[in-house]
Amino acid sequence: MSEASQFEPKIVAYVCNWCTYLGADLAGTTRLEYPANVRIIRLPCTGRIDFNLLIKAFEIGADAVLVSGCHPGDCHYTAGNYHARRRWILFRELLDSLGFDLRRIHFTWISAAEGRKWQEAVTRITEETRKLGPYRELYQKNGFRRPNAPPPPKPPAPAKNNAAAQEQQLRETCARLLSEGTVQVVIGYGVGGPVFVRRAEDAAKLVWNADCQANLTTYLKRKEIKRLGKAAVVVKGCDERGLVILEKESQIDRQTLRVIGMACDGMGQPKCDTCTVHQPRFADEIMGQAGAAPSEATRAGALDALMQLSPAERMSFWAHEFERCVKCYACRQVCPLCYCERCIADKNRPVTIDTSATPKGNFAWHITRAFHLAGRCVGCGECTRACPAGIPLGLLNLSLARAAEKHFGYQAGMDPKAEPLIGTYALTDKEEFIR
Amino acid sequence: MPDIYTPDLMEVVNVRKQTPDVKSVRIQFQNKARASQFDFRVGQFGIFSAFGSGESTFNICSSSNWKDSLEFCFRKVGRVTEALWRVEEGDTIGFRGPYGNGYPVEKWEGKNLIFLGGGIAMPPIRCAVWYALENREKYGNITVVYGARTVADLVYVDELAEWAKRDRVRVIQCVDPGGQTSDWKGEVGFVPTVFERAKVAAENSVALVIGPPIMIKNTLPVLEKLGMGPDSIYTSLENRMKCGVGKCGRCNAGPVYVCKEGPVFTMEQLQKLPQDY
Amino acid sequence: MSEIISKAGLRELAKEWIAQGKVVAGPVQTKPGLVMYAKLASADEIVWEGFVRPANSVKEFVFPRHELLCTYKMEGNRVELANDGAEIPAQILLAVRPCDAAAFPILDHVFNWDCRDELYNRRREATTVIALACESHDESCFCTSVGLSPQAERGSDVMLFDLGEEYEVRSLTDKGRALFAGKAQPSERTAPTYMGPDPRFNPEQVKQFVDGQFTSPYWQEATLACLGCGACAYNCPTCHCFDIVDEGNSQHGKRVRNWDSCQFGQFTLHASGHNPRPDQGSRQRQRVLHKFSIYPEKFGEILCTGCGNCTRNCPEGQGMLTLLTGIEHA
Repeated sequence: MSEASQFEPKIVAYVCNWCTYLGADLAGTTRLEYPANVRIIRLPCTGRIDFNLLIKAFEIGADAVLVSGCHPGDCHYTAGNYHARRRWILFRELLDSLGFDLRRIHFTWISAAEGRKWQEAVTRITEETRKLGPYRELYQKNGFRRPNAPPPPKPPAPAKNNAAAQEQQLRETCARLLSEGTVQVVIGYGVGGPVFVRRAEDAAKLVWNADCQANLTTYLKRKEIKRLGKAAVVVKGCDERGLVILEKESQIDRQTLRVIGMACDGMGQPKCDTCTVHQPRFADEIMGQAGAAPSEATRAGALDALMQLSPAERMSFWAHEFERCVKCYACRQVCPLCYCERCIADKNRPVTIDTSATPKGNFAWHITRAFHLAGRCVGCGECTRACPAGIPLGLLNLSLARAAEKHFGYQAGMDPKAEPLIGTYALTDKEEFIR
Repeated sequence: MPDIYTPDLMEVVNVRKQTPDVKSVRIQFQNKARASQFDFRVGQFGIFSAFGSGESTFNICSSSNWKDSLEFCFRKVGRVTEALWRVEEGDTIGFRGPYGNGYPVEKWEGKNLIFLGGGIAMPPIRCAVWYALENREKYGNITVVYGARTVADLVYVDELAEWAKRDRVRVIQCVDPGGQTSDWKGEVGFVPTVFERAKVAAENSVALVIGPPIMIKNTLPVLEKLGMGPDSIYTSLENRMKCGVGKCGRCNAGPVYVCKEGPVFTMEQLQKLPQDY
Repeated sequence: MSEIISKAGLRELAKEWIAQGKVVAGPVQTKPGLVMYAKLASADEIVWEGFVRPANSVKEFVFPRHELLCTYKMEGNRVELANDGAEIPAQILLAVRPCDAAAFPILDHVFNWDCRDELYNRRREATTVIALACESHDESCFCTSVGLSPQAERGSDVMLFDLGEEYEVRSLTDKGRALFAGKAQPSERTAPTYMGPDPRFNPEQVKQFVDGQFTSPYWQEATLACLGCGACAYNCPTCHCFDIVDEGNSQHGKRVRNWDSCQFGQFTLHASGHNPRPDQGSRQRQRVLHKFSIYPEKFGEILCTGCGNCTRNCPEGQGMLTLLTGIEHA
């Protein structure tokens, strides 16, 4: 007997309380038969289904997952399913870039009256999953010993013609801001790392050169820095995009924060390949004029290469990469947008993400980190730069950024007037993947 | 061979709800041979676990003379204590220990004992009180001043009443202003003030002060005024711990590992430590 | 009289070890510009030269980032515990830097004082350390400041020195001698001494400062750039703090220990909400205190081998060296 005929897939269905659950109930009371492979988990609303639940289902052995809720317009809470739809559009893209088998992830709208649709959906999904066989690829390296050869190292950053002039201007401006008392501290670049200049005569400690790679806006979230008083922060074009998000999310007061923008032609870092903004736009003071940003081909090269692999190969790629993750959380700590007082990774009621640096714990962490930045990440690339194990974390964020652009024409941190991508919805959001 | 991190399995023999969020649990070794070898000093602590939720550190609040069982007491505040909150008689939990130094009860012999406790700090005092009562001839007068925020937050109230009936024992209960009920017969006020009002003679005494940092801070001057030196005032620290055996690296207060050299310290010892606890 | 082995001969020997089922680990080119210690699938993966030191530490092979303490199974109100009885295969850590090798005898103290940590010791006993002396250093290296050197033999069973086409082999223990018995040839050649970096600070002065100036504003001031990640601790050969957690459900699961870092805010957070180390300044001070005061007082040794990995891995270019050299001017 072939394995396919023996194999009974396990399917986890997360359904909303008001529509699909009642639909499934109706199927039962009207004696409609459907495969017993589905385990129904009832939740209040699809809008409240945490993406981690989908991952968890696979981790504990599901071969397919179904998420189902009310039809658009029918949500008991008015718009929960619209919010869910928007999140799934992005989440599917993230899972795809991670190499999850999207054929195992299903979304449907099933109303309380659609017992038959529930029967059909469950029957169809069971049959499709039966054909696919057990989900063995999850978090597996599958014999792909090492991923494709990584690209050759980048040449060093192009010399900046105006770096010295920019540096001089930077020092003078900061000295002025400090002596006028406009700010109490300038968060800037110094020799060997960030400096926190508090006296005008120390402004000479500020530098501007190819080592100025860090995104200093991450210090705005640190209580140790907030204690120093009103701040000015030195930003590059990429860093500045994050400030747009931080302001939108009420994390900074743009009235008191002084922003000093530095034109930048790239720092020769891999992260600079994917950067789209070399010239600051919203800063209070802008120094220098940058050249053109990299072409689209350079920008997306690494992601395109990844997406040309099969899903199993992609998963293998990430399994190899995450194998080196020791959970030092440098990726989280350097990110200016990871500002939660207590990160979900540090919460234990319930444990959403295993604290262990195992394949399960590492995938769960990196999926969560990436998706919590969906529609927010501005591509400053600090996560990739900070990772001691050289994991190209920015690729995950880039895949989400590209999805945001593709589906919603949205680029995080480009337009100060734009509403946040997650937390809003449009009636026209595409749903061709929802059946 | 069981390693140092594998707990003993314990059967829960008694659970008592002390307050709306505090329970005391009495446990017994499932392995009888282990039970017969087991010994500890009052003031030592154990690491208790609910399987699937994890481990947590509590004082062993029963007297070391009670050979048949151990007791611990906890407030429901986190993942582990929520799981322990759900245990019932007959359930199995984990225990590692005893760890730490315990109270120098031999050194305290021949002295008057003053116990000052606040809130959930009663359990680590309770074991010492019972120990002293069980060795009554070795110790002088016993004074217990115990306070909590409200009447409902007092733990081991029945035992407080029991102690008060004993010879040469004075028990003063107090609650924070506003925390009293209409039928409250104890004092109203904070532990340091209530203790000062009580005018306890402090000659030839040792004091054990356990409670929130602010209570300890305000109690010390009162004890000083009574002429007690920092070498005769004891406390028990409650730094976060994981291993209990001086390896995991988190419980140190300055140069001392609280799990090994503590948790019991004299104020004289603490004054020499940096503010790291 | 010393011994030598040809580079090709050593590679063959490594292949033999792998074929024998031994775990062999060494520096591997993880990606361009990044060398990390990893388990070798084949002896050809190892990189022997052209780098200062791997970005991670080799401690992982003796003190893994994630380790099973016991499993539990619950049935009704009964619980069954089981220990990991898995045999630890003999492992050879090859081409290890002296600053990594030296960490093992230092770590031995904490895992053996008071009570023996079997989990650590069984791995330690199964391990043979073959160190490769350094011939270069970078601006993060400071082994000479903590009493070691690019050729320090501490913690190694065998020490290799690059002689061009061959390695000079100095077998230092019986374990090491057993591996190279009959494989290396006697020779008159011996490697020249490489001095390494000039000492950058005085550890005694560091101890005095952290003991005496516990409340100095220096700790806050010098650590403003610290973002509170664990990159320094997790890549440090001597950092050994850990956490114990349960993973599983109400029927079965496991109790594990995972690396932890004093740089995380939750490390010392009490259940009451009180945190004895509420900011990055006090957390960094703790790291210095542990390494340069507590450990030396307890075990007579500095808990640091000067490998410089804290600086190399710090996203903001900070690390021990910056903090320690700054003490002189504090």
